[in-house]
Amino acid sequence: MLYYVFTLVFFLFDYFILAMGLNIQYGATGILNFAYIGFVAVGAYMTGVAGMPSNITGQHYILGLGLPFPLNTLFGGLSAMAMAVIVALITLRRLRTDYLAIVLISLSLVLYDFCNNFVPLFNGADGLYNVPAPLTKALGLNVNSFIVVFACVTGVVALILWFVMARVTNAPLGRSLRAIRDDSTVAGALGKDVFRMQLKSMLIGSFYAGIGGGLLIQFGGSFNPTAWLPGETFVVFAVLIVGGAGNNIGMFVGALLVETLLIHLPAFLPEIPGHPGLIEYIDSALVGIVLMVMLWTRPQGIVPERVRRAVTFGVPDRPEIDARELGSAEVLGAPVAAATEGAK
Amino acid sequence: MSLFWLSVGFGLVTASVLSIASIGLSLQFGITNYVNFAYGDFMALGAFFTYVFNNQVLHFNIWIAMVIGSLLVGAFAVIVNRYLLGPFARRFQTTHYVLIVTFGLSLVMLNLIYSIWGADVRFYSMPIASALSIGPLRLTVTQLVVIGIAALMIGSIHLVLQRTRLGKSMRAMSDNTTLAMTSGIDTKRITTLTWFLSGSMAGLAGTVLGISEGNLTPASGELFLFVIFAAVILGGIGSIYGAMGGAIIIGLATEISAAFIDPAYKLDIAFIALIITLLIRPNGLIARPGTA
Repeated sequence: MLYYVFTLVFFLFDYFILAMGLNIQYGATGILNFAYIGFVAVGAYMTGVAGMPSNITGQHYILGLGLPFPLNTLFGGLSAMAMAVIVALITLRRLRTDYLAIVLISLSLVLYDFCNNFVPLFNGADGLYNVPAPLTKALGLNVNSFIVVFACVTGVVALILWFVMARVTNAPLGRSLRAIRDDSTVAGALGKDVFRMQLKSMLIGSFYAGIGGGLLIQFGGSFNPTAWLPGETFVVFAVLIVGGAGNNIGMFVGALLVETLLIHLPAFLPEIPGHPGLIEYIDSALVGIVLMVMLWTRPQGIVPERVRRAVTFGVPDRPEIDARELGSAEVLGAPVAAATEGAK
Repeated sequence: MSLFWLSVGFGLVTASVLSIASIGLSLQFGITNYVNFAYGDFMALGAFFTYVFNNQVLHFNIWIAMVIGSLLVGAFAVIVNRYLLGPFARRFQTTHYVLIVTFGLSLVMLNLIYSIWGADVRFYSMPIASALSIGPLRLTVTQLVVIGIAALMIGSIHLVLQRTRLGKSMRAMSDNTTLAMTSGIDTKRITTLTWFLSGSMAGLAGTVLGISEGNLTPASGELFLFVIFAAVILGGIGSIYGAMGGAIIIGLATEISAAFIDPAYKLDIAFIALIITLLIRPNGLIARPGTA
């Protein structure tokens, strides 16, 4: 029982981290990163090969550094960032939203195809397995107590990352990013280096993706290409949209509702005899349907983005308005307040 | 040398599948101005509709089943546009939302296909085709029929676009929707017809892909998606003739490369072509006005 509860707790915090990363890219900056799970995969694989010793027989992989726990995860996060630099340099400067989305989803599919076939890199279609469970030797943990401890460690990491992200999104950088999201031409005209800002946002988001992926592979002990088909990116988008794009607290709510309740709880249901995997398929389809219904009925999410008000010049303060009263189109299209904020 | 000509033959077949798929995607993009990320799953749906008529009920001949399956996907696409994508596109000014919705639709469709037909690899029932030699090429009768279907589709789409009122209206809408509307074109009707055409082409492409690969799985359309994107971007997105050209180049390039590198990576060649296109000529071979 404890095992199940803490498994859910782990996924809650891990998807909180993943959603925060996507949130700064999409929610704050407006980059439609349909390759997000690719960055998670890079983080997971690199954490794996950084943590595993080089001499495990039966598996083929690069590096094998044998680094201890926090270092290998950090290595995974930095690797995801490195990949983000390459991707951003090729795509960000040249492409508008929908082209970028096409290229990124293609990237996600091609990375999948490549890792699936190219065995020497990350063991091909079998993926990495027997990834060392961190802290077990140091603390003398068994299988069950490892789940509990690691879920708590993930919780602590998530809180630290949340604290950092809250600082970033409230800092001038966060304001500039929102200004770019609302209207990149205006932001550019006001002297913001749009590409540089988008690059920063991609880098921060990818670091979160890498860390989240690194925690994922260490929790499960294995990672293979089927774990990161493009549908998985969609799950993170569902967490983000349900929680409320642009709001870090919303990411926690989204992770709780979508990842924990909608995706992992039904996994404990018994299989329907004669139909292997049916529950899982219907469940995944349900995630898509929930997201569509959510986008239609409440596009700002459960915890809507706070309408941030700029310092007013000679205009008397008005009471705080709730985003949902503005009507969806305005909230989604261009919150005036955020745009003027960026101008400051 | 024979290996080279063999791969040219395969390249022509892949190019045929790809051109049907790319034309369908481009038609819809030109009219609605957003990309349908569920296109690969429309293809899979077509392949499985055909499978139903070919193997599960009625046991039609594969080619008759293919026509029925494709038209059914066309009807499905019209319904999807009417009740899902159309309303989203009208309601929100930014395209983000409708893109996310098509992405979500892809997940929903894929998993529904899995729920109904399961994850097993399936096969069409069709006669075993004998191989023919045409010049240096060696192709089976089935492969020749696939190439013939693609040629027929390219030809008829060209005629529709150039000679019919529908085609002229579609080209007008693709250039400027507002202007087309003020000129008295019934844009709603054209949009519906375009979705029907696009869906049917997707269904046809999915079936033909299943026939040429020799088997079908629910996920085969999805993985093929980035090859279609490569062809469409190489040709210039939204441009029908560009899509045809891009499809032929990418189709031949992927298959001919398989003669020199491990065939497992042949699809990745399409992605490299995509990146090179973006670096050198981001608007594609036949550019539409406006920037990428």
